[in-house]
Amino acid sequence: MSKKLFALLSLLVVLSLVLVACGPGNEVVDEPVNEPTTNEPVEEEPVEEEPVEEEPMPATTRVGGWLDTVAMSVVGADSAVTQIEAGAVDLYASNLSTPADFEAIEEAGLERSYQFGLYYEITFNPVGPTFPGTGALNPFSSARIREAMNWLIDRDYINQEVYGGNAIPKFFSFVSGFPEYGRYIDLVRPYEVYYAPNRELASTIITEEMELLGAVKGEDGTWTFEGEPVTLIFLIRNDSDLTRIPQGDIISNWLEEEGFVIDRQYKTASEASPLWVLGDPADGLWHFYTGAWGSGAISRDNSDDFQFFGAPTSAYGFSPLWQAYEMEEADLQVLDDLANKSYTSLEERREMFEQALAIEKKYSFRVWVVDGRAASTWRPDMSVAYDLSAGVDINTLWPFTLRFDDVEGGVARWGAPDLFTDPANPVAGSNWTYDSQWQIATGDYDAIPNPYTGVQLPQRLEKAEVTIKSGLPVGQTYDWVTLEFADEITVPGDVWVDWDVENEVFITAEEKFPDGQTALRKVVYYYPAGMLGSITWHDGSPLSVGDFVMGMIMTFATGKEGSPIFDESQAPALESFLGAFKGFKMVSTDPLVFELYSDVWYADAETNAVPFRTAFWPEYGYGQAGWPMIAIANKADAAGELAYSADKADALEVEWMNFIGGPSLEILNAKLDEAIAENHIPFEPTLGQFITAEEAAARYANVKAFFEEYGHFWIGTGPYILDEVFQVEKTGTLVHNPNFPDLADKWAMFSSPMLAEVAIDGAGRVTIGEEATFDVFVTFEGEPYPSDQVDDVKYLLFNSANEIVEVGAAEFVAEGQYLVTLSGETTGGLESGANKLEIVVVVIPVAIPSISDFEFVSE
Amino acid sequence: MSVEARPFQPQAEDQEQVETKRGSTSTFSRVAKYTLVRVIMLFFTVATGVFLTIMIANMGGYVDNIMRGNIREGLAMQMQQDPAYKEMQPDERQQYMASLIELEEKRLGLDKPFVTRAFRYLTNALVLDLGRAVQMTSDTGSKEVRLIILERLPPTLLLMGTSNLVLFFGSLFAALALSRQYGSIWDKAIIALSPTSSAPSWFYGLFLILIFAAVLRVLPFGGMVGSPPASTRWGYFLDVGKHLILPASGLIISSLFLSIYNWRTFFLIYSTEDYVEMAKAKGLTDREIERRYILRPTLPNIITNFSLLIITLWTGAIITETVFQWPGLGRTYFTAIGLYDTPVIVGNTIIYAYLLAMTVFLLDFIYALVDPRVKIGDS
Repeated sequence: MSKKLFALLSLLVVLSLVLVACGPGNEVVDEPVNEPTTNEPVEEEPVEEEPVEEEPMPATTRVGGWLDTVAMSVVGADSAVTQIEAGAVDLYASNLSTPADFEAIEEAGLERSYQFGLYYEITFNPVGPTFPGTGALNPFSSARIREAMNWLIDRDYINQEVYGGNAIPKFFSFVSGFPEYGRYIDLVRPYEVYYAPNRELASTIITEEMELLGAVKGEDGTWTFEGEPVTLIFLIRNDSDLTRIPQGDIISNWLEEEGFVIDRQYKTASEASPLWVLGDPADGLWHFYTGAWGSGAISRDNSDDFQFFGAPTSAYGFSPLWQAYEMEEADLQVLDDLANKSYTSLEERREMFEQALAIEKKYSFRVWVVDGRAASTWRPDMSVAYDLSAGVDINTLWPFTLRFDDVEGGVARWGAPDLFTDPANPVAGSNWTYDSQWQIATGDYDAIPNPYTGVQLPQRLEKAEVTIKSGLPVGQTYDWVTLEFADEITVPGDVWVDWDVENEVFITAEEKFPDGQTALRKVVYYYPAGMLGSITWHDGSPLSVGDFVMGMIMTFATGKEGSPIFDESQAPALESFLGAFKGFKMVSTDPLVFELYSDVWYADAETNAVPFRTAFWPEYGYGQAGWPMIAIANKADAAGELAYSADKADALEVEWMNFIGGPSLEILNAKLDEAIAENHIPFEPTLGQFITAEEAAARYANVKAFFEEYGHFWIGTGPYILDEVFQVEKTGTLVHNPNFPDLADKWAMFSSPMLAEVAIDGAGRVTIGEEATFDVFVTFEGEPYPSDQVDDVKYLLFNSANEIVEVGAAEFVAEGQYLVTLSGETTGGLESGANKLEIVVVVIPVAIPSISDFEFVSE
Repeated sequence: MSVEARPFQPQAEDQEQVETKRGSTSTFSRVAKYTLVRVIMLFFTVATGVFLTIMIANMGGYVDNIMRGNIREGLAMQMQQDPAYKEMQPDERQQYMASLIELEEKRLGLDKPFVTRAFRYLTNALVLDLGRAVQMTSDTGSKEVRLIILERLPPTLLLMGTSNLVLFFGSLFAALALSRQYGSIWDKAIIALSPTSSAPSWFYGLFLILIFAAVLRVLPFGGMVGSPPASTRWGYFLDVGKHLILPASGLIISSLFLSIYNWRTFFLIYSTEDYVEMAKAKGLTDREIERRYILRPTLPNIITNFSLLIITLWTGAIITETVFQWPGLGRTYFTAIGLYDTPVIVGNTIIYAYLLAMTVFLLDFIYALVDPRVKIGDS
């Protein structure tokens, strides 16, 4: 080796060491700030970000996405911010959730989203008072001790210490920024006040209950039972986002101060699961566990949460832990009724919700801790819409809104933790978010959820008519849906209710149900006239009726025994679907109109129309595809050469079908050649009525040409085309689709959430027994918040003991201005001292309620 | 194999070989017998090693419980999102859930006892039937373990091969030169720098990223190619080369000085032998001394090291690959362990085990070729 090279290498190492030495040293960390425990209601700032100053968007003639190319690659979360700063990538689309991440984003001056991430809780083992397996005492067998944990756990302290203040203290399962919270905030806030941190109260209850259980507190302050220290086994998760380690340690410390010995067992999900989910809680191998849950989309209906998390009838009912949840029959009935939507009005639902809140706290099988927040981040000269739950990467709107400010075109370099994770096929392919992020851009949908409320908005659909059986509490937000109620919804005899695998025709309702049937929900879907001629697939083929009918056939074909593409793993799902499905039919082809009948219904008219992005649009749940691709894929699946699902692929020991790479491509290409040679019309007795031989020939030729140009079969109609795919290197590109039908600025209104700002003005002193009024100003970016966009302005009056003494609605005065009037009787009930008026504003465009308060003195 | 304990004769090739008569056994039968016994012993060693790997990777069967838990949790979460599920009666729900659980357990092979599966994994592995992964797919989506490994092999060989070959030959020749400059400034510098190898390669990798990617912005942070990738073949190769610099440098720097130090100490012993001094006194050139009097007697050690280095290329470098987002086998192996994907773990292990066994086996013969003192099968 040359001397020069030696010198260079030595220099390099020395340089590295010098750089380390010059870097910022360990900062002196102040002792954690332990806020004094008060009964003050926890004030939740729904939004910490400044409203984005939006310049008027210039009108554009560009269609589809704003960018020419989106180049995706794998970027580690640890270096995401640094890479954006260094210009290596333009945005990091996945979740960054640690306080250090938020700090780094702010220091770098980058833009960011602010979505809800995981939500955290402590799950208790309720078996006892002693474990049959070990004979050890289980303090958490006492519902009072479990409830006392609500006072012992200082949620705000954990938020500040572990989450850097980015989380939101949490008292119930539903996320604080989702609609249920805003809807029932007047029911929830009293609990938030009641369960404010109170170590003294927690300690008193624990002492009383422990003594009742036969435990003795020694002189050293340690609890003993039958001569042995009371040791609690705490399963603390040490994987995922790592925040449960400090969270578990803090809670352990608090319990140790109460006299318990804590056996902190740090475990991964896989290690903990056999204990707390599968294991018998009576074995006594654990006492409590740091749980966390997530939500991939804004949930608008959490009525089944109470059952899911705290009743033996939960979907988790297979678990011995859930089976150990003993509760009074009447309480269980409430939770079941709420989960099964056994209510006939919103008022009844509210009553049941109120009861369920009390039941949850009564048993306290778990204590909720915080709602975590996460961020995606991007260059300051870029913008993109984000979803309050899905963030950026799996937000359906990102392909339509990601852009460089004031620039049309350009190449955006997109970083993500992974890419091309599992085989991609539209029927049962990869469901990883890392694959959804690019699939979203290549597809299109019937409807797209409002990223701030989750309410569906029409994309390809023009309108929908929803009819619901009278008595079911369904509401409506947008006027693209018309909502009607009917005493009885009769299902016509000519609707298609099933699939005849042998004859390849639909089975009609009159054939399967000669006595007729009724449904709880009917929807009529209208696509715009002329749509079929104006939308083309990425291979240039025009969208056709056959694409839609193929989708309807595939609803049944993979789950029906005897079908050439039968898949055992799809059968239970089909069976479940058929249990509530009442039929569908195509009413006309131009304009394209469909009808759907079902017994499944939702609280929102828009969700009844489109539960999740697609009703009849040829999107199969895992991606979009035209009928020729499904025909080719069906051939490969039927021949046993490939399989749509991982289950079937494993059973047959063949490849899991992949439209974008691997051994599947050769097989699919061979099947395409076969189809071309045969001019194959799949399910001909049915699809032959909608697909001509000429169309078949042209469609297959286009698929072939596309494959030869792009080297894959992922053909959608979305705003971007999947161009290059490097699966081993984990990088790929999406290019602009110049034939997309919509203008690029169609969804520009979602560039930032329209969060309400609330200000309160009024007298600082109120005379007891006299009427008092307070002005409430609701604005957005300094302008009055449109009253037709304001759902509710509530007030909660707290007395000097911090108890809620009145809840009411503010009165509308003018645009952006409301009035709260406290009657003389109300103020007469106040004692001398400081009181607080809390205003909660729930708006239609954003699910997060805005909360503000005003203190006044009564004398 | 054995090495006769007698003083080393530097010019043994010029001396007459000592013939040893071993009864009526011919050289052929001796070698054949040795080969057979050696192969059988190595085979059983490999089989034992792989079986232990299977048992450890599955925690003696406990992983089945973990997977059962994961299945149930995953399905419960899935059910919570399914409106049709919510419409079912409790007994219908349980039945539906049970059927889904059964299907998934069947797919993952949990319907068969662990012991049966363990022996099936073992027998399949021994005949190199790598089978199908349980959870993982290859980058191109295949569940064949063979493809999962093969797809990651080129990037692994590129990274590990480049760095290890540079490291091996670089340190070898540097050490050779240093061994004859004992006490020089360079010698002292290498000794002083050798503790730097106590830091792992990813540690240097992070610093290299900091300097060359974050601060100087002349090299990429990671990955194997840029995004968007170059459109021409040459552009692609150059791009890969550019992405290779930092991870390879991290791997080289982390071991370079210690490796030089090791070899230098090793050569130093031989460099001070009397016959080397004699050669110096005879006026032979440095090059001749290195080649004939130092390298030649150390050749078996060098070959052993080199052979083992070649097969360690197979293992990849888990953390360095992760730091640089390099699509190597180390990460595949790591992922497989995390997912308890026994076929992938066993597939990687069996190939490494066979490579190791073959290397050990062949080295016996290579030693005999390069060192006349060594005889195959000599007791």
